[in-house]
Formats: sequence, C-alpha cells, structure tokens
Amino acid sequence: MPNTLRRSLDWLYNAAGFLAAFFVFAIFAVMIASSLMRELSIKTGGIEDLVAWLCAAAAFLAMPHAFKHGDFVRMELLISRLGAPRRRTFEIGGLAFGVAFCTYLAFWAIRMTWGSYEYGVMSDGLLVLPIWIPQLSFVLGAVLLLIAMTDEFVCVLMGRRPVYVTAVEERHARGDFSEDI
Amino acid sequence: MNVIEISLILLGIMLVLLAGGVWIAITLAITGFLGLTLFAKTPAGEGLFTAFWGSNASWELAALPMFIWMGEILFRTKLSEQMFEGLAPWLNRVPGRLMHTTILGCGIFGSVSGSSAATCATIAKVALPELLKRGYDEKIALGSLATAGTLGILIPPSITMVVYAVAAEASIIRIFLAGFIPGLILMLLFSGYIAWWSLRNPDKVPAAEAELSFIDKIKKSGNLIPCALLILFIVVVLVKGWATATECAAYGVLGSLAIAVQSRMLTWRNFMDSLMSATRVSCMIMFILAGAKYLSLTMAFTGIPRELAEWVATLQLSPYMLIGILALLYIVLGTALDGISMIVLTSTVVLPMILKAGFDVVWFGIFIVLLVEIAEVTPPVGFNLFVLQNMTGKDANTIAHASLPFFACLVLCIGIITVFPQTVMWLPDVIMGVAK
Repeated sequence: MPNTLRRSLDWLYNAAGFLAAFFVFAIFAVMIASSLMRELSIKTGGIEDLVAWLCAAAAFLAMPHAFKHGDFVRMELLISRLGAPRRRTFEIGGLAFGVAFCTYLAFWAIRMTWGSYEYGVMSDGLLVLPIWIPQLSFVLGAVLLLIAMTDEFVCVLMGRRPVYVTAVEERHARGDFSEDI
Repeated sequence: MNVIEISLILLGIMLVLLAGGVWIAITLAITGFLGLTLFAKTPAGEGLFTAFWGSNASWELAALPMFIWMGEILFRTKLSEQMFEGLAPWLNRVPGRLMHTTILGCGIFGSVSGSSAATCATIAKVALPELLKRGYDEKIALGSLATAGTLGILIPPSITMVVYAVAAEASIIRIFLAGFIPGLILMLLFSGYIAWWSLRNPDKVPAAEAELSFIDKIKKSGNLIPCALLILFIVVVLVKGWATATECAAYGVLGSLAIAVQSRMLTWRNFMDSLMSATRVSCMIMFILAGAKYLSLTMAFTGIPRELAEWVATLQLSPYMLIGILALLYIVLGTALDGISMIVLTSTVVLPMILKAGFDVVWFGIFIVLLVEIAEVTPPVGFNLFVLQNMTGKDANTIAHASLPFFACLVLCIGIITVFPQTVMWLPDVIMGVAK
C-alpha cells in the first residue's frame, strides 16, 4: 500500500479518536457546569439530552481508533493456540464477518439518519434539535469503522499481521494494563 | 419450529463465531440479526439502528467514560507508592505484617478505580518488589495480589457494576452501595487467611521493622490524605444522594485531576494518555452493550428468555440449587470470556429466570460481580493472572495455583451473601429505602 494512503488513513482514525476524546471531556465539563448552575438555581433543562448525545458521539467516533488499537475484545482462547498459518485463516474469516457487519451497520446508519433529515424529525426531549445532527456521529463512526475494517482486511490478506494484535502485544510488553478491565 | 430449537440454533451460531475469534460485539449483533431475520420476520435494519443509537445515546451510560477516566488518571499518579508508604508502618504488629498491604492497597485503590486489572497492576507494581526485597513469601504475595486486585470491581465505583446496571436496567447507585459490605467481608477473609497462614508459618514471615513513634506513623500516612478525601467524597455523595451516578463520576474525575496536580504528575502527556485510554475502553464496552441491546431485541421478539424462565420454573429447583448451577455455569464461562462480555451475554436470558425464582436484581448483581472476580483468577484466561505473568515472568498456572486459597475465600464470600442476602441488601435499603 502506498505510504501516503497508509498515513492518511491512520490520520483519519486518530482524528476521529481525538474528536471522541474531546466529547468525553465535554461530558465531564458539562456535568460539572450543570451541577454548579443548579446550585445557583439557573435552569439546566435539556442537559440530560445533551450528555446522552455527547456519550453517543464519543462511543461512535472512537470505534475505528479503538478497533485499530486492539481494544475490541474477543475470545482468543482457541485461536491463540493455532499455528501462524491457521491463525491467519481465522483472522481473515473474522475480518470478513467484521466487514460484512460494518457494511450493514453503515448502510442503516446512513439510511435512517437521512430519513431523519428528509422528514425533519426533531428530538423529543427538552432540548429540541433536528435529530439528524447528533445522529451524524453514528454515520461518521460507522463509515470510518467500515473503512478501518476493510483496510485491515486487505492488509492481512496481503500477509501482514493484524495491527490490533501487535498493538496489544506492544502495550503489554511495556507493562501497560490500564486498558484492561 | 419451537422456541427451544430456535434458541439452540442461535446459541450454536453464537458459540461458533465466538470460538472463531470474531469480536464479541459483532458476534452479538450478527446473532441478533439472524434471529430477527430468520425467526421473527421483523425488519432487522431499523432495529439495528434503534438499538445502537438507543444504547449509546444514554444519559445513564455517560457515567461509564467518567469512572473509567478517573481510574486512568489515578493509574498515572504516584498514589500506589504513597499508599504503600502510608500503610506499612501500621502493620508491624499484625500477623503477616506487610503482606496485608496487598489487600488494603487493593481495597483502597478499588474504591477509586473500577477495574480489576488496573488495580492489580497498580498495587503489584509497588508492593511486589517491596515485599520480595524484605523476604516475604512470594507465593502468598502473588496469590493475594492476583485475587485482591479483583476488589477493584467489587468495591464501588466499578465499571463492571455500571455495565450490569445498564444491562439489567437497575439503579447504578443502589448496586454501588450494595458492593461496600461484601467488599469489606472479602477483605476480612483475605486478611484473615494471611494472618492464619503467618501464624502457622512464623519462619516464613520476616521480622518486624523498627517501630516508628505514633507521630512518625501519622506523618508517613499524611500521603494518604488526598486519596482518603477522594474516597470519602465519593462515598458521601453516593450515600447522601446529592448527585446522580454520572455527576458523582464527573466530580471523581475532578478529584483525581486534583490529586494528580498535587503529586506533580499531571503533565499534558499524562492527561492526554488517560483521556484517550478512557475513550477507547469506554468505546469498546459501549460497542458490546449496543450489540447486546440488538440481540435482546431478538430475544424480546422470539420470547426465548420468558420460555426459558418458565421451563426452569417447571424444574422446581430450590433457589440454592439454581444459584449453585448458575455459579458453576459462570465459572465455566469465566474460563473463556472476560467479565463484561459474560454479564452482557447472559443478562437477558438469566435475569428473568432469577427474578422469577424470587431473587433481587441488586443482589444478583453482586453475586455476578463476585463470579467475575473468580473468572479473573481462573486459567486459561484469567486476566489478573496474565497481568502478574507479564510483570513477574512467572507462569500463569503457577500464579493461579498461588491464588487457590484466596479463590476459596471468594467462593466462601459467595456462600455468605447467598445464605445472608442482608449483607448485600442492608446498606442500599437503609440509605435509599426498600425498593418497590
């Protein structure tokens, strides 16, 4: 794969990851601000909706980055005992399922969000907004996850070890277990 | 085709995908899709969108990234060093001496962190070299660290409890409160075992260190004040009901940032690392929860959980027998799956059964958390074993063997909360009133 393509794809996943991290920070900031405002008896209607959307945005946008980073869990009990060639077959199989599912997810994310936009659906909480605006994070996250899955699928087909495996190996070799529950 | 056949087919598909190494969240969603398309004849795509959006766009769930971030910040401070220094002078006269730092350290760190692996790694990083340097028994040290690390998910805040509460649609705060007393019981059991072992093997416990004066002890423990304040703060906020779980978590983050500033560990890099880490871990968990929500939609349409609950009811099992069978089932599942997946995977099917048999949803949450703790120290995929294997180079089976006595304490604790459910229900009932 040409270097520029590799670099721009990785940049894309990381950028989405940073954006997601920003939304996590925003949850924190909004929660603190709203509790202070409540003390000063300023009305904070709609905060719950806002936080829910921030939470969704953080979850969806982080998907491609978390996937590439090896954070998505799976059962490795059996496949970790296979020799390299057979393990590769299973990785390719797993990625094929991943690509198929992500295609379906991205398709429906786009279709339903487009529907919300077309029919001008408004959110039904205290904070009234066209619902397609927060739903955009779903579309973006799902599409980027599809790209990341396909990217990984192609790379493993071409003979590279999956990056979600090597990333975890490197992290554990450094003694970093902060991302394991 | 009857419901039992459908559920067996879906279970079969799910097991094949899981064993083949397909990601848990994707496995759940694919099984959900097949169930909806093949057996329920309902539009699967709209369902997928609604389940994923509804699961992630949740005010309750926003507590999850906050609690995770809080642990990630503290993981990057000097808290564990300070804890060891502060605790050590007080343990000179207790049988087992500094060995108890593992239990106390994990218990205290567990009340600011919601993760078992992080608790184990944080405390082991400091306590293990210090204990071995002083000549304490390595086997007991490893076993107690592996098992006591799991206190991270029993003593609130706990990521596992948030996940259970969301999956079971129960109150996060009620389940948090329910974890305090079982957590204390477990710490007593662990420490009790260490004391008993030390009395029987006096030659294996190094001599006491020079006794410090009371004033010096207090001075040494001064380092623990920030952490104690943070714990006190979280407990008081939870108990008084001043804030929702999400707000409490946000203030926990604020407190952790303050501790990091105070110990001069809050660099821009640490801040960003902790935030990015928390974002990824939350994303991973929320992805699984979304997949599970989709699968539970299938479950609702096919009626599998209800049928299964009725079938189990016809077996006329005594409540203890049902609990015993479930405990065995979870121990087996726990050898292959991580705790979060285990809970999310089973809650839709098991909860109706449990509620029908007259158990409380909060009580069952604590029961399942204790079983997840067991799963963390059972080979071949106990995660705490893996953490210590990486840190010490010892084989996971050796560490699992060393944890056996502590494993027995966990089983004993499950027995205690089963026979005396008040140990779980008393605190939340007293503080929040008896649930309807």
